[in-house]
Amino acid sequence: MVETGIPKLDDYLYGGVPIGKTLVYYTYPGVEGVVFGMQSLCHAMSNGTSGVYVASSTEPHRIREQFSEFGWDADEYGDRFTIIDVFSGLIGADSHERYVVADPEDVRSLTQCIKNAMEDLREPGVIVFESLSTIMDLCGESETLDAIEEWNQYAMLYDHAMVYNFTAWPYSDDTLLSIKEDIFDSTISVGGITGNVIFGQYFGVLKANWTDAVRKYILFKILKPGGVRAYIPKILVTGPFDAGKSTFVHALSNRAVSVDRLGTTIALDHGHVDYKGFAADIFGTPGQERFDPIIKLLGGEAMGVFLVLDSTRAEDFARGKQMLEITRSFGLPVVIVANKQDCDGALTPENIRDKLDMPETVLVMPAVAATGKGVFEAFETLIDMVMEVG
Amino acid sequence: MKLSFIGLSRSEVGGFGTTAYTDVFLYLNIQGIEQDKNWVQFNMTYKLGISRLDELIGDIKNGTNIMMIGPPISGKDDIANVIVCQGLLDANAAVIVSTREPGDNVLEWFEHYDPDIPMDRIGIVDCVTRTLGFGAHDTDNIKMASSPVDLTGIGVKISQFLEHFWMEMQLRETRLCINSLSTILMYSNLQTVFRFLHVFTGRMKAANALGIYVIEEGMHDEKTIVTLKQLFDGMIEIREGEEGYQIRAVGFTPKPTPWFDYEIDGANIVLQG
Ligand SMILES: Nc1nc2c(ncn2[C@@H]2O[C@H](COP(=O)(O)OP(=O)(O)O)[C@@H](O)[C@H]2O)c(=O)[nH]1
Ligand SMILES: [Mg+2]
Repeated sequence: MVETGIPKLDDYLYGGVPIGKTLVYYTYPGVEGVVFGMQSLCHAMSNGTSGVYVASSTEPHRIREQFSEFGWDADEYGDRFTIIDVFSGLIGADSHERYVVADPEDVRSLTQCIKNAMEDLREPGVIVFESLSTIMDLCGESETLDAIEEWNQYAMLYDHAMVYNFTAWPYSDDTLLSIKEDIFDSTISVGGITGNVIFGQYFGVLKANWTDAVRKYILFKILKPGGVRAYIPKILVTGPFDAGKSTFVHALSNRAVSVDRLGTTIALDHGHVDYKGFAADIFGTPGQERFDPIIKLLGGEAMGVFLVLDSTRAEDFARGKQMLEITRSFGLPVVIVANKQDCDGALTPENIRDKLDMPETVLVMPAVAATGKGVFEAFETLIDMVMEVG
Repeated sequence: MKLSFIGLSRSEVGGFGTTAYTDVFLYLNIQGIEQDKNWVQFNMTYKLGISRLDELIGDIKNGTNIMMIGPPISGKDDIANVIVCQGLLDANAAVIVSTREPGDNVLEWFEHYDPDIPMDRIGIVDCVTRTLGFGAHDTDNIKMASSPVDLTGIGVKISQFLEHFWMEMQLRETRLCINSLSTILMYSNLQTVFRFLHVFTGRMKAANALGIYVIEEGMHDEKTIVTLKQLFDGMIEIREGEEGYQIRAVGFTPKPTPWFDYEIDGANIVLQG
């Protein structure tokens, strides 16, 4: 198995790409799909697997720079990392790579290079194509489709995993269909949500013939450094006044701002979390009742909610529950944070659940937002719940 | 709620089931992501900023894609910049794909001719700097493409600027200027460039934007020009006249406008006659 290193995707593929199998990231024009292949390659190499990158639209030295912009160090991989340079020949530049395709429009010399590289790998490795579409543009659609079958068979023979980036420009319907449905063992759709512009990006498994793939779609963002992150655009942090909402948002966030007065009406916190392959934007709501309409408004687009309670102030719990109801009416996943566990007289999570009169299924988790204790546990729990929906 | 998924729309790819579509739809629905308020048709129109031509052709409707074709050194760069400039003064955003001038130079042009231009509304996809071997990084205004060959990367960067201007800056009028297609055609074959333009002229329509695409006359065969013309709604033509260059607009009115002699005076195109 070669893991893809894309958050959630390895779960959905039951571990990753088996050796000898093939995967295509089928990307829609304008969506940042090229990072998927790059991330899969670097993830595999940092796990000790050998990797070959078939570079067809970028100069090799730029590729190493791109890796480092994402925080992946090509030097660290040593001789486990090889590039097949299918680019320099195109612009008439010299190349110092081990494998160079002198004439990038000649698919047979590319095939020869790929075979050589596969034979030279001493153990099962992963071959990643920077851009199959560029190769197709240069070599022709049917010629490339034939060649892919040959490469894939060779990979099966040598137990390598193959990963392709493909941009779905308007090629012929037959070409698109065979890439999407026929010639690869698995297809990951990397698409955009469009209105007037592409305002969101998602990926999901369309096909994987080694397992019953989980058909869920994940929104993503590309971070530098970081790469592909499963993205949750809005998580709400609500709770009574002084419960520790602002403190909680700041403890979770890489970057956070608290706006005590936005205009003259509201006070809110906004933070960005980047944690274990997940990126999320979190918003703290104001606690006072006069702001309830705003919570409703914010709640309308949220994907999950934290209810932060001061564990020492049972008298505020009813208010907390009320605030939750304002957002819960939208049916969102919720984690209740029993904050200020360090204080004398703090009630236990179980105690709080009883007092709130909540069913067993509602999660109440202990935390000390002031020191950051428990906040990431709560975050992971909520993320799991959000990802289970849909 | 009106959403479409380019990843899963039948029209763009054709021939596969609707289950996946429904899944995404449900997912987003459940997650409460409603973007219908962002899907709005505006009745906005555009002006070129070249006064006599604007008078003759009237308002240009949104979603229009225009080819600008003329001989070398006829001032096409300036004319393209003037059209962009007019947009910036009209509170439009501008995305410029620059294949011959480094992004910094393009920015300088605007700073030089009009220091009041709001720079935060200009986005440049720079296809030059990296090919010169400089390891330049992206800035707020400039995103670096690896080279004019990398149409996939150029497309991603155009899309990112479009999203930024639409979503974060809430600008609803944008001009895209690709200067020039001729460079792109030097590195990729006609079919490849056609596919790229097919997608992006469509995106200009979806974004209610105005697209300007510059082509060097005399660098391409007739077939190339005829093929590309299909993608455009109108043309700005430049030719060499007896006393210098002349300009006209074609395809906006039943007949082409007359040819005008012109002079370029900084950020002004002055038509004569
Ligand atoms: N002892 C203790 N104090 C906390 C904790 N979390 C927050 N506080 C304090 O509680 C007060 C209110 O916190 P704040 O985040 O402003 O609450 P908000 O009104 O819900 O945003 C501040 O003085 C915090 O320092 C905690 O876990 N333990
Ligand atoms: Mg606060």
